[in-house]
Amino acid sequence: MALTREQLKDIETKLVELAAKEVGPLLKEKAGTQFEAYDDKANQVDLVTAVDKKVESIINEALTKLYPDFRFVGEETYRPGDTEIGNEPTFIVDPIDGTTNFIHGYPYSCTSIGLVENGVPVCGVVFNPHLDQMYHASAGNGAFLNGKPIKVAERDLKLQKSVIALESGSERSSGSSGDDNFDIKQATYRNLLSDQGAYIHGSRSCGSAAMNMCMVATGMLDAYWEGGCWAWDVCAGWCILTEAGGVVVGGNPNEWKVPVDDRCYLAVRGGCSHPSQKSFVEGFWSHVAGKLKYHW
Amino acid sequence: MPISLPEMLAIEQFLCSLAREHVGPIIKAKSGTQHTYDAKSGSRAVDIVTAIDKQVEKLIWTEVRQKYPTFKFVGEESYVPGQTTITDDPTFIIDPIDGTTNFIHDFPFSCTSLGLTVNKRPVVGVIYNPHLDLLVSASEGNGVRVNEQDFDFQSKRQSMGPLSLAKSVVALQPGSAREGPNFKTKIQTYENLLSCDGGFVHGFRNLGSSAMTMAYICLGYLDSYWDGGCYAWDVCAGWCILKETGGTVVGANPGEWEVAVDNRTYLAVRGCENKREQEDYIKRFWECVKGRLEYK
Repeated sequence: MALTREQLKDIETKLVELAAKEVGPLLKEKAGTQFEAYDDKANQVDLVTAVDKKVESIINEALTKLYPDFRFVGEETYRPGDTEIGNEPTFIVDPIDGTTNFIHGYPYSCTSIGLVENGVPVCGVVFNPHLDQMYHASAGNGAFLNGKPIKVAERDLKLQKSVIALESGSERSSGSSGDDNFDIKQATYRNLLSDQGAYIHGSRSCGSAAMNMCMVATGMLDAYWEGGCWAWDVCAGWCILTEAGGVVVGGNPNEWKVPVDDRCYLAVRGGCSHPSQKSFVEGFWSHVAGKLKYHW
Repeated sequence: MPISLPEMLAIEQFLCSLAREHVGPIIKAKSGTQHTYDAKSGSRAVDIVTAIDKQVEKLIWTEVRQKYPTFKFVGEESYVPGQTTITDDPTFIIDPIDGTTNFIHDFPFSCTSLGLTVNKRPVVGVIYNPHLDLLVSASEGNGVRVNEQDFDFQSKRQSMGPLSLAKSVVALQPGSAREGPNFKTKIQTYENLLSCDGGFVHGFRNLGSSAMTMAYICLGYLDSYWDGGCYAWDVCAGWCILKETGGTVVGANPGEWEVAVDNRTYLAVRGCENKREQEDYIKRFWECVKGRLEYK
């Protein structure tokens, strides 16, 4: 039994309220004040703070009360190998996306609350309280920024004339655990930038996957390529982007359809025809320098 | 003849109102609307300039000449390679629109950057981003203002924790020169800064505007900025503001403790409680530089 458009709009409205009232003020108040108080997660650049945990439990509690039948997957309660995303409605939540920004007080941390049904993102809310930007959408209902419909200016999409979000990420070792993701990413960045390669107009990096997805949704950025992030980093933004006419495909070549927990994505803006999105994606893939591998 | 502190403040205020009232509205209105632009070198080139850049520079030049007829003027669009020099005379050094690629793509980090040097030293700096409505300004000896209110950098600095390379967020921009040895040096240095075997910084950020990057360091959002290929007008205003917050600008290549405003390679580092920390940070950073950036 699928959720109706009206039900989804109602969920979207409640998530906006939760993000604005319960989460935003806490993020705003605590940003830049946790410098001495972070745990080192997998390695010392993947930073998680006590505030992340607190915010996640606030969101979890509120959503469990509102939607007791829905499942909940959050960054802080995720257990490797154990947490699965099924077909039933599931909230996928990053309490604070852009934790490094949060710690450093760089104004690109946000909360990201998404909902998937049958594995497809159907509702998404991303709120950056520092810039006071509330992005929200639900399937069939359009995408909005602070209540105003997001309309991407119609224009050509060409790889060479594009500005693309590329992040440093926190996985930084060559060949660790048999992967060479770091090397592949760096080589791909080189290919995209070089005058011998795609020679794109520019790359941008703001340190938050959710904010990047939203900036692709509005058309400020043409695309965002990422490997290593998680379902909760992209789920909400994915719904916002597709409602604004954009698409999400795999970060590795020829993966036209990927699940929300693929961990490797290429997001492309709307404001242009489907064939031009398709040729942009194919052009981009030709510069990917190897196969990124991640585990869920 | 030296300029007194009150005179310096008056120049700052004049540039602030010029930026906010005359230049800002044009940048904001025209951002994302310029689909015809010149590539400075060839059709695929990524160093682009629009008619608006030229129009805005002319407006600034007219205004400052009327008010300060004896001061010299160096602007990005009127600069003549090999001819334009910066002397000891009071000289306005301005970039009408910094972040031209952002301006064309409507990525909200284009700004105007207005600086003044005396004896080749940046002594007044005004940076205005109309998209964020953010005005950051300073003059030598007069401190820093954000949106024309005094900015208490002292408290910000105290809350920021120690400055060390592995705990820092660094701004890195590939820029528009994407060929030859300089591009190679940049890419190798980025990899080295990120790698767990190298600097292993918390992350990099890329805003696509030197002036906005300098402003963000002044506000305490970023720890440092390393670049080569930019010009005096990209850094002059930010340099003055940064100095007022206790920050410093040195060369991008190891050992360059003292550089001129038109050096074209720079490492800008935020202020911190202990001057020694800043020195150690710079030395440690330079150890990660692989190769040498050279510009004529």
